[in-house]
Amino acid sequence: MRYGRKASARAAVKALRAFVDGNKWRQRKGRYVPLHYIHGITGVRGYDVIVVGAGPGGSTAALTAAEAGMKVLVLERSRYPAEKNAGGFALSSKAWRDFPFITGLELPSMRKGTQCVAHFLSPPPEMEERFCIASGPSGRMSYPEAREFFTVTMLRREFDRFLADKAEEAGAEVKFTSLVTGLAKDADNIAGVLLEGGDEYRAPVVIGADGVMSQTARLAGLRDKWRPDEVISACAVDYSASRERLDDVVHEANFQAYFGPGMGGNYLMCYADCVHIGGPGVTNSLISRVSRTRIKPARELLETIQAPPVQRLLRAVDAVPREFHVHCVPWKDSMSDDVCAGGLMLVGDAAGLPEPLWAEGVWQAMYSGRLAAQVAREAIGEDDVSAASLARYLDRLRESPVAREFVGGAQLRRLFEVLGDPRAAGEMTEMMVDLTVNMFMSGQEPKAQTVARAVPILMENLPVLMKLLGIYVPMIQEAGGELPPQLAALGGMGALFGAAGGEEPQR
Amino acid sequence: MSARKKAGEVDRFALSEVIPATRDFIRLDGERCTGCGDCAVVCPMDLWELRGEKAVLAGDYKEKCTECGSCFIACEEDAIDFSYPPGGTGVVFKFS
Repeated sequence: MRYGRKASARAAVKALRAFVDGNKWRQRKGRYVPLHYIHGITGVRGYDVIVVGAGPGGSTAALTAAEAGMKVLVLERSRYPAEKNAGGFALSSKAWRDFPFITGLELPSMRKGTQCVAHFLSPPPEMEERFCIASGPSGRMSYPEAREFFTVTMLRREFDRFLADKAEEAGAEVKFTSLVTGLAKDADNIAGVLLEGGDEYRAPVVIGADGVMSQTARLAGLRDKWRPDEVISACAVDYSASRERLDDVVHEANFQAYFGPGMGGNYLMCYADCVHIGGPGVTNSLISRVSRTRIKPARELLETIQAPPVQRLLRAVDAVPREFHVHCVPWKDSMSDDVCAGGLMLVGDAAGLPEPLWAEGVWQAMYSGRLAAQVAREAIGEDDVSAASLARYLDRLRESPVAREFVGGAQLRRLFEVLGDPRAAGEMTEMMVDLTVNMFMSGQEPKAQTVARAVPILMENLPVLMKLLGIYVPMIQEAGGELPPQLAALGGMGALFGAAGGEEPQR
Repeated sequence: MSARKKAGEVDRFALSEVIPATRDFIRLDGERCTGCGDCAVVCPMDLWELRGEKAVLAGDYKEKCTECGSCFIACEEDAIDFSYPPGGTGVVFKFS
């Protein structure tokens, strides 16, 4: 090594950085002394927490950290919140239970969901409505918001902006058009980020909220990518629509699912003045399955949008297509444990947290973002951001309702496999039609004659009923629930019928 | 044009806006590619095709790719590398 003026300057900078990053002197009665002026001398800018990604997880982390008095920097690759990870979504009533700051939130795109609708269609090419369930919230739910509504649908463009603004108001600095391409490391810990273009920012804790293709996870060596059976490729078409028509036709049935034999299920989400149709269901858009079946998810969605009931609804609300979206979403049957390293925590999709039935992920992102920021605050306060110290983030996640969503995860994923299986979905639909019509709807034949068919209908459909029991019984068991003896016996029989799902076109 | 007609038409390319990236963000390692075609089947914008025994990425992918990363996930040979285009470039969602 040559010793010159440059080398000694480098050594001085290194020493200064080590001093700055050795947080001990920074604590003063639990408050954090801003250090950016020191970093100014060293040519790098320092923060307590750097958040990568200004989605719901990143902004909630930034908001929580800033409110706790930490100096926070958020780096977002797009030009404004949700420019990239756009789309609409349904925010569960859980969010109103858990995040006081959204109480009273009003956004122009919001539509409240006091009804959920599932349409069951006949097989292609006909694809007409065979059966439909519409339901309001259940009075047995454990908190008041859940007894009042299911979800509120809204656009990410508005919600992500709201959260990013909130984080900024709390003191976080948000930089857009900033792509993180590297991580700075100090010994064993991640200690900052490098931006494309060469800028470097330092912080004892980095929170990776950069989505399903998390580059922070990759750069940290936690994982290169999710497996093909852990990711869905979800497509959606956004339509502008008439607010008045939507109010009349859809009202508060903001979430409607369309299932049909061979269709994995499309969802139709209605907002104040637009509609999204997405799909082709979680199972059929699972990348490993697409590779096996050779059926393209985008094409499947575009074809099933042509189903007559979907088209009628679109026409009734004056829908005009505006935008086509595609996003990958992690869809896992169990919670990951590769969510933290020294100086780094991953939240939201970057941590693989969407739940294993509908792949709902925004509430999970917000919840994990808040947990990560709380852990960052504690760990920095204790002057220990090592992997061992931050492992408490994983412990907290495991104790949280986010992890409880994964109980029975493997079974939940199989439930959609049944719905995606052409034969099982068709049988289930016809069973529901037969039971409903013969038990109480028919004026076509004498009631005594039709009601007597209930037992044969159930007997004939034992295989598909067993498939469902084979899913629900192990779930109840996994959740630690007690089974009545009859159900336990039936569950055993269900297991005999083997894995749900079934015939798939082969390559 | 009647609403009846309009609701049925979905042109993926007309309905997505992309600011072309100034550098490549998807790379194919031709040595590793086995020509399985998984990338071609998952790509929602049909930007991959098989030529001979190898996958080929469309020359104008920087103007069409919606950055979903499906090809990267699908490739079990790790022949496809995907990162993000430079900040401020790539796909833009205006409406939702």
